[in-house]
Amino acid sequence: MSIIKEVIKNFFSKPSTIEYPRKAEIPVEKDFRGEFYADLKKCTGCTLCALECPARAIEMKKLPENIKLKHNPRGLYPVVNYMTCVYCYRCVRVCPVDAFITTPNYKLSSVKEVYSEEKTLKTLGMG
Amino acid sequence: MAEREATTVIKIPITLDIPIGPQHPAIHEPVMLKIYADGEEVVHAEVNTGYNHRGIEKLMEKNSFYKDKFISSRVCGICNAVHENCYTRAVEYLAGLEPSPRAKYIRVLAMELERIHSHMLINAIMAEVIGFDTLFMYIMRDRELVMKAKEILTGNRVEAEIHMFGGVRRDIDDVKKDKIMDILKKLEPRLKYYRKLFEEDPTINSRLAEIGILKPETVLGYSLLGPILRGSGIKSDVRAEDKYDAYGEIPWTVITRPEGDSLARMLVRWDEALESLEICKYILEHLPQGPAVVDERKLPRVFPPGESYARVEAPRGELVYYINSVGGANPYRVKIRTPSAVNIINSAFSYVGHSIADVPVILVSYDPCISCMERAIVLDLKNNVEKRVPLKYIAQKKVRL
Ligand code: SF4
Ligand code: SF4
Repeated sequence: MSIIKEVIKNFFSKPSTIEYPRKAEIPVEKDFRGEFYADLKKCTGCTLCALECPARAIEMKKLPENIKLKHNPRGLYPVVNYMTCVYCYRCVRVCPVDAFITTPNYKLSSVKEVYSEEKTLKTLGMG
Repeated sequence: MAEREATTVIKIPITLDIPIGPQHPAIHEPVMLKIYADGEEVVHAEVNTGYNHRGIEKLMEKNSFYKDKFISSRVCGICNAVHENCYTRAVEYLAGLEPSPRAKYIRVLAMELERIHSHMLINAIMAEVIGFDTLFMYIMRDRELVMKAKEILTGNRVEAEIHMFGGVRRDIDDVKKDKIMDILKKLEPRLKYYRKLFEEDPTINSRLAEIGILKPETVLGYSLLGPILRGSGIKSDVRAEDKYDAYGEIPWTVITRPEGDSLARMLVRWDEALESLEICKYILEHLPQGPAVVDERKLPRVFPPGESYARVEAPRGELVYYINSVGGANPYRVKIRTPSAVNIINSAFSYVGHSIADVPVILVSYDPCISCMERAIVLDLKNNVEKRVPLKYIAQKKVRL
């Protein structure tokens, strides 16, 4: 048995290389463990996610002065460093109020650090 | 005294000292094989490690049981699900937790998918090492199918993160089941094709057959594990011996081959991949009903004192976790013994007598996974320190040359 037949067949088939990101997208599952951020409408600032993160990717930050939330008396919210995060979703699963919004976005490579701060602040709907 | 020195001096000029690694294109892993050759023939081999020490066992002592779960699955990228399974089960034995039947089946599914892609990977690398790059590309292309199946099941192509104490972290529904089933159906003819190719192709046969023959007693004597053991005709598999998780309920057989050469080891891997495929199919068809996912918020924060020990059959052989707890949130000690630590370090003898070109073939037939064996090496290096005192002193500049 030789591989020649297979080679000839493949010679005429279309290339299996995906030209990502220039020409093609890689389809992923809807529940792929991708980018996620906290929803300020739910988060109580309990810090549990930051304590449980195995990669120490979450830092608790103070909310901006003009934002006062009744359900968040300490005024803290989690900021994920996407470059440190290993996407284990431990934070998502331990959050007592299910505050994290998860997305299958995997396109997170960057030359500088990327944080979830902006996305989280936007969840209040005021930008 | 003088006579003894003379014998050492004579040996060095006639041997050729060839370092294979630590950055060798054939193995893609940071390990160095120091080969002493007389002409083409290998007369002595040394395995040098320590290029990839990460201190994971220490890291695990410093972190909580929960964080360690995620650290353990990062010991090795290829076999992350078996690492988590072994660690998770060790913790479960300690804490007296028991996963539901459905969770057990899902765990086995994740581990068997992993076995398929791991075996495909090493067979692809074998093809590359013997100069058969076309075959390497084809196998890697078809391996993507399994990666996709794993993505559907676990949410990531590589890092499964599907285990949690007392269950799993994700369940599968009928849509996912069908998707994985379709992938498996596509994969089956490919696996069978490659298996046949390895068995019959004259190029592969002339490079692999009768290379690195290990007799059953040698394999046992050096405690080699996994497909190496089974490639030498010894029927030993932790899945069959311990029947952990759902392996006791799923019909499957332990694959062995009597030849004991590199080809036999690769064929054992292909047969095991096919067997794993059947296991996966069986699981998808017979998945028990009931809950599988545990609520991570309701698990205990602290664990009782005690010791526990778990082992699994990783794609490369028996993997062992030993946990010692003095109570509390952190383990006192986590000891990991990975199959590659045994397989690679103990196998230096098997290169002797072969030609230099066969060394990468034999090494790859052992499926080396250096990232997971590194931590265990430290002790071994200490044992070797006495032998290499001069070298060490040279490095420390205690001896001037
Ligand atoms: S996904 Fe894991 S690593 Fe990332 S922030 Fe959450 S807990 Fe940390
Ligand atoms: S665990 Fe949930 S509620 Fe607590 S700080 Fe994190 S996101 Fe907010």
